Amino acid sequence: MPKAIGLITANYSTKFPSPLTDSRPAASLPFLGRYRLVDFALSNMVNCGIRTVGMVMPYNYRSLIDHVGSGREWELTRKTGGLFILPGSAFGTSRTGSRFLLRDLIHNKVFLERDSADLVVLSTANWVYSMDYNKLFDAHLASGADITVLTQAAKDKDVDVAGFEVVDGRVKGVKHGVVFGDTAFLDCFVMGREKLLEILDWFAATDYLDLFEALAGEYERVNVQTFDYEGYAAPVFNKDTYFKANMDMLDTKITHELFSERPVRTKAHDNQPGKYQPGCKVANSRVSGSSVIYGTVTNSVLGRGVVVEKGAVVNNAIIMQGCTIKSGAVIENAIIDRNNLVPEGTELRGAPNAILVKEKGQA
Amino acid sequence: MLLAGGQGSRLYDLTKDVAKPAVSFGAKYRIIDFPLSNCANSGINSVGVLTQYRPYLLHSYLGTGTAWNLEDGIAILPPYATQTGGSWYAGTADAVAQNLEYIELNDPEYVIILSGDALCRMDYHDMLETHKKNNADLTIAVMPVPWEDASRFGLLVADETGRITEFQEKPPEPKSNLASMGIYIFNAKLLCDELRLDAADPESEHDFGGNIIPKLLNDGRRLYTYKFEGFWRDVGTIASYHETSMELLGENPSFDLFQKDFPIMSNTLSFPPAYFGPDATVDDCIVGNGSKIYGDAIHSIVSIDSVIGKGAVVKDSVLLPGAIVKDGAKVINAIVGENSIIEEGVAFGSEDAGKDYTFCGNNVVIGKEE
Repeated sequence: MPKAIGLITANYSTKFPSPLTDSRPAASLPFLGRYRLVDFALSNMVNCGIRTVGMVMPYNYRSLIDHVGSGREWELTRKTGGLFILPGSAFGTSRTGSRFLLRDLIHNKVFLERDSADLVVLSTANWVYSMDYNKLFDAHLASGADITVLTQAAKDKDVDVAGFEVVDGRVKGVKHGVVFGDTAFLDCFVMGREKLLEILDWFAATDYLDLFEALAGEYERVNVQTFDYEGYAAPVFNKDTYFKANMDMLDTKITHELFSERPVRTKAHDNQPGKYQPGCKVANSRVSGSSVIYGTVTNSVLGRGVVVEKGAVVNNAIIMQGCTIKSGAVIENAIIDRNNLVPEGTELRGAPNAILVKEKGQA
Repeated sequence: MLLAGGQGSRLYDLTKDVAKPAVSFGAKYRIIDFPLSNCANSGINSVGVLTQYRPYLLHSYLGTGTAWNLEDGIAILPPYATQTGGSWYAGTADAVAQNLEYIELNDPEYVIILSGDALCRMDYHDMLETHKKNNADLTIAVMPVPWEDASRFGLLVADETGRITEFQEKPPEPKSNLASMGIYIFNAKLLCDELRLDAADPESEHDFGGNIIPKLLNDGRRLYTYKFEGFWRDVGTIASYHETSMELLGENPSFDLFQKDFPIMSNTLSFPPAYFGPDATVDDCIVGNGSKIYGDAIHSIVSIDSVIGKGAVVKDSVLLPGAIVKDGAKVINAIVGENSIIEEGVAFGSEDAGKDYTFCGNNVVIGKEE
């Protein structure tokens, strides 16, 4: 591996308010029960050998700091390098939908200046995939591009995913929103560390722009090339893509690809194994540790410590950590955020195309 | 001082590759998690772990002790060489005697000797309080056992204040039903002095139960019992391992991993949540992360990272971490070792075997012929 450092902009703020992201930054969204979105960005970096990672924090960073701590789970508690917590834009000055806000990068230039690595790989925390970045580095070094962006042909229309206009393998422009077949940006790119510092100096006066917007008039001068990632990659920018990506995890081919070759590291809670009581029914589901199931769970993803009582039914739903579904309650086509106590006999039903969200509870 | 050098020979193939304290238990734990968690939960911050038999997995599992909130508090103490030779640990007392340096460097007032072999939740702090209150030289944790079984144990006869008057090792006619749990609290100075004397005695077998305790009793020292009435199992045999595993199951299990105030910590690898296929059945089971169940799991322990294939049945059994039961295989009344494979269609164990549990060790493949 060439010497590289990583920088994660973990402060994406969503364009569409949702109860899920009212109470936490997107990077801290629980995913597949026991993970949080940021785990994928962090794990991709350390799994390819990077041991110096900066993380630009959102203003509401409590849950994110709680999760990453000193970076121990990602082998980032070190004498040299390690995890660097970096300040992001203050509340109100961040821009919704922005990925690599110049102001956030310029404010943290010292992180880039103090290292001697040749390359820096930047990423948001909004995508679910597991990739060996060495392939990206090799392509970058072989092509001689200034910047190599990680892309994939869009599988769906998505107004939140950024896309590139590409002519003969070179990026000529960036746009918001993609439709099927567009060159979707996986919010990850690699470039020379010194080149990045140079570019940041060019744009000091327009630091309210996103890096790729600022480059709009510069795509002749700055050689930006794409690297197509062929594996599974899912964007998580809103309620619907959040739900869909979680449900993708019920496909064992996808989870095999995500979790088998390289570990996805996360904060260990070290709780008990799950308990499945006499008479329960669980099918086509993922259930995290220390959950206790008496009732019926189908086509669902359950977080840690979820209790599904006798006679309760959970179908096509995400139930986050610490929820209790009381006897006789029915949950369908829904996302139940953390610590909810769903009372006896309650029905919480959305529709397959209109997922219901129950905001964080107090249980 | 945690005695973790034991082989556990009556666990046969389960301890072929690993020491008994490193044997997996309860879907994600290893036996040593229980005494280590007890230490952490009791406020003990320095634990010397005495290892000897097949120590690699145990050593790597222990690390620096972070997993049990014992950051840098664990000292791994295997046998070592000296200018005059060096030797294996010859008995429980000898193991501790060879590490007096560790005890004296820590300079504690009290030393607790623990067994790395047994499963129990116990507050050692409470035992220490009893020790202090009695102004004792040595306190031995005991538990009442049924009178008819008593002659299988080391028994302590005590007066109404708990002061020990007699020690009986597996007596034909028991005078007491209080069995020693192999957990001792010593005043540190006394322990060091006695171990030095014992080490110099060529007649001694260097065993706490056989030599040290009888001598202290003879010397008229203040030996007291600490009565423990919670859950305790030695899991020394295949049958007791299997039966203790089954005691984790059910709605009101006699051994409840979900007890809130006394967490059992472990150092397991991180896996995604357990997966249940479209046609899976799971009934009365404990299932670890990373496992995939496509077939039927009934009244069983399904450990981390194990797989039950399509149409396969696992019933009244224990799958250890990484075990794979392939499509159509049947595992009944059995224990499948870590990373072992039961091939397609194989029947491993049977309904009518009674307490003759079928088992295999780690990393083996059970094909049709066997």
